[in-house]
Amino acid sequence: MQAVILAGGEGQRVRPLTHSQPKVMIPVANRPILDYVIESVEKCGINEIIVVAGYRKEQVIRYLNDLDTGVSVVVQKKQLGVFDALRCAKDLIKGDFLLIPGDNYIDSESLSRLKAERNAMLTAEHPYPSNYGVVSVSGGMVKGISEKPALAESMTVSTGCFSLTPDIFNYPATCMIPDIITDMAKNGRPIRAVPANRWHDAIYAWDLLKMNRMALEMVKPSISGNVSKSASITGHVSIGSGTVISPYAVVAGDVVIGENSYIGPHTCIMPGTSIGSRVRVEPFTYVENAILMDDSSVGSHCRITDSVIAKGTKLGSNVAVEPSYSAVEVDGHFFKAFFGSVVGDNSTVAPFTVLKHCVIGNSSAVENGRIIEGFLPDGSIVR
Amino acid sequence: MCGIVGYVGERNAAPIIVEGLKCLEYRGYDSFGLAVADGTATDGGGRLTVIKKQGRISDAGSEVSLAVGNIGIGHTRWATHGVPSDVNAHPHTDCTGDIAVVHNGIIENYAELKKALIAEGHVFKSETDTEVIAHLLEKFRNAAAEKGLSGTDMVDFAVKNLMDTLEGSFALLILIRGFNGLIAIKRFSPLVLGIGDDELFASSDMTPILEHTQKILLLEDNDYAYLMPDGIRLFSYPSAKTVEREVKTVDWDVESAKKGGYEYFMEKEIFEQPAVFVNSFRQKIDDGAVSVLKKASSITVVACGSSYHAGLIFRYLMEKYCKIPVRVEIASEFLNFTTAKDTAVIAVTQSGETADTLAALRHAKANGCPVFAVTNVLGSSVTRIADYVLYTRAGPEISVAATKSFIAQCAVLLRIVSIIGKGIFEKELFEIYPVLEETLLFDPADASAVCKDAENIFYVGRGVYYPISLEGALKMKEITYIHAEGCAAGELKHGPFSLLTPKTPVVAVCTKDDAYPVMISNIKEMKARGAPVIAIGSGGDADLKEIADIFIPLPRSKNICEVISATIILQMIAYNTAVLLGRDVDKPRNLAKSVTVI
Repeated sequence: MQAVILAGGEGQRVRPLTHSQPKVMIPVANRPILDYVIESVEKCGINEIIVVAGYRKEQVIRYLNDLDTGVSVVVQKKQLGVFDALRCAKDLIKGDFLLIPGDNYIDSESLSRLKAERNAMLTAEHPYPSNYGVVSVSGGMVKGISEKPALAESMTVSTGCFSLTPDIFNYPATCMIPDIITDMAKNGRPIRAVPANRWHDAIYAWDLLKMNRMALEMVKPSISGNVSKSASITGHVSIGSGTVISPYAVVAGDVVIGENSYIGPHTCIMPGTSIGSRVRVEPFTYVENAILMDDSSVGSHCRITDSVIAKGTKLGSNVAVEPSYSAVEVDGHFFKAFFGSVVGDNSTVAPFTVLKHCVIGNSSAVENGRIIEGFLPDGSIVR
Repeated sequence: MCGIVGYVGERNAAPIIVEGLKCLEYRGYDSFGLAVADGTATDGGGRLTVIKKQGRISDAGSEVSLAVGNIGIGHTRWATHGVPSDVNAHPHTDCTGDIAVVHNGIIENYAELKKALIAEGHVFKSETDTEVIAHLLEKFRNAAAEKGLSGTDMVDFAVKNLMDTLEGSFALLILIRGFNGLIAIKRFSPLVLGIGDDELFASSDMTPILEHTQKILLLEDNDYAYLMPDGIRLFSYPSAKTVEREVKTVDWDVESAKKGGYEYFMEKEIFEQPAVFVNSFRQKIDDGAVSVLKKASSITVVACGSSYHAGLIFRYLMEKYCKIPVRVEIASEFLNFTTAKDTAVIAVTQSGETADTLAALRHAKANGCPVFAVTNVLGSSVTRIADYVLYTRAGPEISVAATKSFIAQCAVLLRIVSIIGKGIFEKELFEIYPVLEETLLFDPADASAVCKDAENIFYVGRGVYYPISLEGALKMKEITYIHAEGCAAGELKHGPFSLLTPKTPVVAVCTKDDAYPVMISNIKEMKARGAPVIAIGSGGDADLKEIADIFIPLPRSKNICEVISATIILQMIAYNTAVLLGRDVDKPRNLAKSVTVI
């Protein structure tokens, strides 16, 4: 059996983090989300994997080429939805197959159960179903899927994972998957609903923190690099080669730190934190429940919690994040979300800035210490 | 310059040889061939099967599978003597068809040898220099038989006489009917052996071998080896004594020689550059090497092609920041000039086999200069000559046009500048990774659309951007076949200006450094002649954006990082233009990867 993993879309809702990579490549616990998907697919016994790439495909292909397992890559030239992406892989499909989104976490046990069925999908219960495809199920069979409905009929959502047969290619190219599934049900060929065990999708950038925590639980502890004798390493911690952990630094797992990073003296790297490679954390800084991506740096005496700091971004000293559970507005919708800050790629934040439940775009600069709230677009300059 | 592959083992040789030759295609691709022997045949070795033709091995049909046998040799050709044709393709055989030879290199005295052999009655089928080798072996084999020698003694005799007779460079793989194995001989051309599980490989470089094993044995000049089912017997000429050579485990894995989902290797290699630059820059350089360089009164760099441009970049930065005089010479011209004894000579060569560069370095060494090599290939010929070797960590570069190897050379040379310059650039270049990643997000569509219809493109820059412009032009002309010329911006109006028309695009690198004001007026002068200007500049430069037809902003970074990111932009423009024109990007016409002939 083959698996088609979709990695072509940008993942617009997690902007600003998709400037230089598609959502599937965003690191949680220092591994791209796609890596977890491929791992689960392999663990459930499938070794013929087709990846559909599109947005920033060169970066995705570069990563796929480094894997031990061979995957076939097809390119979706224009991002026209899930069914269009699947159709790009049509020539490589030899029989029944799994269709899996590359940007959600799904465990291998669920995929094994899915694999055992012909024409089925993995469903999950979700407290806020309107962000997803809502599935109506009757007698274990799917009656229909409605995509992101304003009013959800049930709390059951689609995980985006399907077990399909090549018959699906009989549907015209312009169809959308939810309509196809609903049509199959109407015409007496309903697909089976299989409840997923562990599934997680990060809709918005701050949702990655929860996925990060979940992924950190699975990290194999291993300590490399240069760890000072007086540093305190406790709990479930992985530290990469070339990384320096300075005297009196405290690293309390679950934490993962990449390669060639520098963790200064008297810093506190607290549970739920993923720090990438070539990252610099200066002395007396406290980091908790955060993702610091590659090449970022945090000045001294900072407090960074509940935040996602993207690649190459530099935070000055004494930067404090004030997390809260407050209103956000996205695409005209208002809802509440808990986070401290999300800062895009290659931005700089001046010393003594307070990041108060804000999202700062890519290549931005906060030039003077201020309180930053709300959403700042890419390229913002705050004086 | 040709690639050769050999196999001895239990498996059927032909498919392994074919796959190996496909890996070596970048060394030459105008014809191919293979010969197999069935060592398991009970009549002491059946006839050799030889299949060869003009054309690319990747286009070869199923005829190669007709060769059945567990011992084989193969060849992919870049023609030197004799046009590409079926009859000139290797392997070459003797009059009896019992001896088959594949050869990488040039036999310099082939003409006299051929004349003498014809006079003795040998019949030649091809125009190549290689064929003399097969006939010489036939002659020595007959002579050995007359002396009553047989088996390995006969082969020993033939090989010794062959190596006495030949002048020039050769990496040879030879099959002789009745000899249960293959003979590998190396002098001046590259040849490495691979040791697998009960099987042995021989090849011009490691790439085809890595598929099967990571254990590599590097031969030295004048080594010859018998690869047989029970192992390797390794000897040195002329003593004929058994020798031991180190078996290294290589960490280049087979994936680095595959392109995966990329359309061309060049695209893959462009995208590998951030990691390649950082890995090459971060390495430690031997203290002995550093102290010799510091003591030298001047430095001379010898190189060819892109490596020469890397040398020029080194010159600009070394002279400016370390105040040490640097001379950069094209290797093939080096012997025309005098070389001071106390100049440190650095040879820059990706493959380590570039004949012109090797000759220049040997000359420098003979002159008494301390000699260094900057190369990408472990154990290559240049490493045997140099006193100190600095390796670039680029991994195998398959595409003929240099991209990541060039950036890696720049990294190593910049590291030298940094160490001798007391740490200059160190901080900036350690932080270059995200800058280069950001550069790779650039979409070259607009610039390539302008370039693809041009018949002539100019690349201009000042200071260190002059060699960058030379490199940009070289990339463009190599793979698109559009004539492109790099020019120091200040030189343009001393002649080349007359060539500027609305049809000649100019690619100008104009970052916000000391030369900025002068470059801006140069660009205005070009615009005044109607030439379309593609300007690469610092991010946020609104003035340049106004003036240029296409403005390409580099990611914001320190000046030294802009030097590298500008190079990558120029590579991407050339690559994209070549793809738009439907060129064979990885294997441009008339070129080969490693120029092992002068």
